[in-house]
Amino acid sequence: MNLLQSSLWTTQSSQSRLTGTWRSAMPDYRNLPSPCLGACPVSGRIAEWIRHVGKQDYRAAWETLVDNNPFPAIAGRICHHPCESACNRQFHDETVSICSLERFVGDSALAEGWRFDAPAAERGQSVAIVGGGPAGLSAAYQLRRRGLRVVLFESRGQLGGLLRYGIPDYRLDKAILDGEVQRILDLGVEVHLNSEILDAAALEKLRRDHDAVYLATGATSSKVLPGLDYAQPWVIDSAEFLAAANSGAPSQTGPRVVVVGGGSAAMDVARTARRLGKEVTVLALEPEHLLPAQRVEVDEALEEGITFVTGAMMKSLDAGAGGLTLSCIRVDFKPGDKRGEFSLAPMAGTEFELAADAVVPSIGQNADTSRWSGLIDSAGPLVATDGSWQTSAAGIFSGGDVASMDRFVTQAVGMGKEAAAGIARFIGAEADGAAGAKGPEVPFSEINTHYYPPVARNIAATAGVAERLEGFGEVQQGLSRAAALAEASRCFSCGTCIYCDNCYFYCPDMAITKLEHGYEVKTDYCKGCGLCVEECPTGSVMMYEDTRG
Amino acid sequence: MELIKYQDEGQFSSGHVACGGCVEALALRVILNTVGKDAIGVVSPSCSAVICGGYPMSAVKIPVFHTTLESGAASASGIKRALLAQGKPDTTVICLAGDGGTYDIGLQALSSAAERNEDILYICFDNEGYMNTGGQKSSSTPKNAVTGSTPAGKTTRKKNLIEILAAHRIPYIATVSPSHLNDLAAKVEKAKSIRGTKVIIVLVPCLPGWGLPDNAAVRTARKAVESGVFPLFEVFDGVDYRLSVGTRSQSVETYLKEQKRYRHLSADQIAGLQAETDAEWDRLQARAVGGQV
Repeated sequence: MNLLQSSLWTTQSSQSRLTGTWRSAMPDYRNLPSPCLGACPVSGRIAEWIRHVGKQDYRAAWETLVDNNPFPAIAGRICHHPCESACNRQFHDETVSICSLERFVGDSALAEGWRFDAPAAERGQSVAIVGGGPAGLSAAYQLRRRGLRVVLFESRGQLGGLLRYGIPDYRLDKAILDGEVQRILDLGVEVHLNSEILDAAALEKLRRDHDAVYLATGATSSKVLPGLDYAQPWVIDSAEFLAAANSGAPSQTGPRVVVVGGGSAAMDVARTARRLGKEVTVLALEPEHLLPAQRVEVDEALEEGITFVTGAMMKSLDAGAGGLTLSCIRVDFKPGDKRGEFSLAPMAGTEFELAADAVVPSIGQNADTSRWSGLIDSAGPLVATDGSWQTSAAGIFSGGDVASMDRFVTQAVGMGKEAAAGIARFIGAEADGAAGAKGPEVPFSEINTHYYPPVARNIAATAGVAERLEGFGEVQQGLSRAAALAEASRCFSCGTCIYCDNCYFYCPDMAITKLEHGYEVKTDYCKGCGLCVEECPTGSVMMYEDTRG
Repeated sequence: MELIKYQDEGQFSSGHVACGGCVEALALRVILNTVGKDAIGVVSPSCSAVICGGYPMSAVKIPVFHTTLESGAASASGIKRALLAQGKPDTTVICLAGDGGTYDIGLQALSSAAERNEDILYICFDNEGYMNTGGQKSSSTPKNAVTGSTPAGKTTRKKNLIEILAAHRIPYIATVSPSHLNDLAAKVEKAKSIRGTKVIIVLVPCLPGWGLPDNAAVRTARKAVESGVFPLFEVFDGVDYRLSVGTRSQSVETYLKEQKRYRHLSADQIAGLQAETDAEWDRLQARAVGGQV
């Protein structure tokens, strides 16, 4: 420091006094992850794209979104949105409507016809994908973006897998699905429809013909409810029921339908049957508050006049002239440590009966792993994979329902994304990157709520019950532009700097320098008071012990 | 979210010796950069005298005259008159003083300057006590607050300097807080454009004097504003009151809670301070009727 550099009269600038020596703690712009990012199945940079929405740069919001998920319009409709459960804003007033905002951006992209950029460079290597559901399509997208050749085999007549054949139109309009799938295909994916890879030999051939294979065949065989004779015409498999209804086939069942199960698929079956004019009862082992389906699905099913018989099971079934009689009993349901595990105790003396014309068991789906025996090892009911989603056969990767019990759609999308990275590394198209270390997340206590006056959450409208039951129109509506902007402004942007300059202006020691993209602490002068941290609305800058080197 | 708007032109330098986290330094930064380069400072013995710098160091880019504790306003008046005699009427003369040098020891000089309506900008950094000399009470110390010379809490209330100044019918009086930097800069800007005596009182929560952690001064000042303990307002010509923040959103207790100087308070004392704040707030509201902008 030049003591004579200042232009003062007779005195020297105080800048020659390095007050940084007083410090024991230092602010650091670590930009820790937000809780929503940690909870997001595709690790989406939620705070970042919501900020773009707030600035009305919807294109930038969409581009940030599709970095991790090519289906924002789909996810904005059907994601189980763990981000909203993790959102720090819930501790202030109400959680941010992240899912509805995502739909707003996704729908904007479809309306504007935004397309993905072609890959920067084409590479020679080729990857075969088996299964055109959310995991397979997500992997196809991420591999094409890297310039790899992608050949996709789908056993059915159309792409989409569960999204097309499992999710009813009232939750996901198929035009949305078509739009988001087409965008991926436009990147140049070679698709073979009605092409089932039947066995290990066929899979092995694919492996020889390509540099890698991604196996994402889903969980296609329904779990069987013991004591139920599936050969009877009044027993209808839930996947078949939904596939038929989703393709518009007329219903063959009688007027009274009992759906057995309490998950999302059971809700889809029940609400579809209700739209087909049936009188519907859901019979589930779990008490209502523990039903595995999303709460909103249960609430909407109740609104639509579906009867819930929860905490009970069917013991036996009699088919008589006037229909079916289900003998049931109440059970004491205890959830286990892991998702899907539980223990049951029937409670004597609580027997009751239900009348029905048809029973649709919807208690979950199993993956078919026996097809690949000899080539790929299984882990219980699933294909076994390592940390990069590679199976026991080198170069064959797997994900989605066939390889995981995480069965939400966006979880499959996230697995497809991770597998694509694993495949790219395997075939040498990408260097080993540091896996996104999941550090601590920004806690609510780091948010300066002064900058966020309490504001009610903007919630997307829901179609009226009468209108819903008339057909298969979407129940959840989109946010208006004004509502989306208002909602975007509610985001705390936890850990993601919004360049508000508060840290710069609130420093009493002029120890923060503004850079083109961010800030820097002048270690010569920072006294470590923490006012910059205190006045940071987002928790992007935090104090850390200053260990000096 | 409202962004902070003023431009830092480098008029206040790093390396000053204010305590880490001191918002008097923060307020000085805004004030000096808003006042600009064409200004002369007068500073009476106080924290700002130390912060501006003892010879041969200076943290400020304008010339500063260190005067005696009782004569801040008088020295500023003299410098202003010398500038007028030199034909430099636009140079701002800014007097920086503490509450000791304003409410107590410098009051006579300030009253005289105000009576003559000298063209000076007088800034009082009000940390509610003689904090630079180890924390003794001043007539600005609020009721019940513990200082070195009021170990059981002060028994009388804080002097209402604004009403004293208003009685002089000077053109501009304002209160500002380091939690509201845009308001602070705007009021300094406004004062700069007015001829005559302008007084701005800055609330300065003192970290050692009030018993606060290093990062607490801005939030404490904010609570003072939001609880109505230190309302932000302006008085034009001694009669026209205008509120800058027209609502209260916090209790007085929320403001008191983090400060060690109030740690001993009983529920009755807290209720008493709340009642006193309510009454003052109502009085201010009544004065500001129709005048709020």
